[in-house]
Amino acid sequence: MGLETQHGGKTQATLATEAIVQEEGRYIYCVADAGEKLSLGRIGIEGHEVYTIPYRDICAVVHNCPTQPYQSDDQEVVKAWVMTHQKVVDAAWERWGTVLPLSFDTIIREEAEESAEQNVKDWLKQEYERLESQIGEVRGKAEYGVQVFWNPKLVAQNLTQTSPDIRNLEEEIKTKPKGLAYMYRQKLENLIKHEMEAAADEYFKNFYSQIRKHVDDVRVEKTKKVNPGLQMIMNLSCLVYRDRYTELGEELDKINRMEGFLVRFTGPWPPYSFVGGA
Amino acid sequence: MEPTRNSHATLVDLLDRVLDKGLVINADIIISLAGVPLIGVNLRAALAGMDTMLKYGVMKDWDERTRAWEREQRQKKVEPICTARITR
Repeated sequence: MGLETQHGGKTQATLATEAIVQEEGRYIYCVADAGEKLSLGRIGIEGHEVYTIPYRDICAVVHNCPTQPYQSDDQEVVKAWVMTHQKVVDAAWERWGTVLPLSFDTIIREEAEESAEQNVKDWLKQEYERLESQIGEVRGKAEYGVQVFWNPKLVAQNLTQTSPDIRNLEEEIKTKPKGLAYMYRQKLENLIKHEMEAAADEYFKNFYSQIRKHVDDVRVEKTKKVNPGLQMIMNLSCLVYRDRYTELGEELDKINRMEGFLVRFTGPWPPYSFVGGA
Repeated sequence: MEPTRNSHATLVDLLDRVLDKGLVINADIIISLAGVPLIGVNLRAALAGMDTMLKYGVMKDWDERTRAWEREQRQKKVEPICTARITR
């Protein structure tokens, strides 16, 4: 595959420097819904061979690595690692249908008596029931990201036109002398901010209940500042049956068509947000 | 609308998931990851405006209130099952 050749040269170099550090750790990408023992080829981080460690009807998808976390100040390096992590999880997801993805840089080490390999097996064994039930919860489903943005300027303008409180205050300002008008402006800004929050509240609850109907589970994430012209008022991770995302898409269309609103719809992602425990 | 997963446009969405989420192993067989959670911070900062609203300040309280509201909603739904289990 393309990846092998791509990482071929790099792997040689990595192996040379790591020759001293023994590869006693197991980097875990995900737990998959299959009890097979097999190799997925050298598709891992820095071209490592990815293979499975099975226990009963589940397996851990791993590569052998030194017992040191992957760390780098080089953004491009980190980016490549993270994307490779995701590619491996994707490959497993495609192959076995259901996976529990682990977060980047999860490495199981050896202990005095036990090898890392044995520790992975013991972990699968000890956690088997929990893993099995989590696999059951996400089987046939995928995660989708839903972010709703609004244009705060437009919203503020509309509020100015529709809110009687804001209009009254604006009228009042016109009659005030300059010095006092400044204070009134501040008062007006606070009022607009307050009303915008109330409006965001309304929209959030509204959208949330509409979206909730089409998804199996949902996580509300922190909103983020993305660009100056748009404000995120909703950031959801939704767990959806894979063949039902079109309904969610239609619901999002309704929001996206509203003036001053924008929706970002991403996925399908492996269920990262639904395997960490609530 | 159709979901997208173009690797360039959704890199931040990917990082949010791969770096902050996923299955957690609570066992001492995991190598110490001190400092590692910071691994993606610079990268994400570089990917334009990844400050959360908390830094931005504008709707900080609002964001927290909304999330609290959602947690309440969730608990309301879960509660009956829990109490049923306990009384049994």
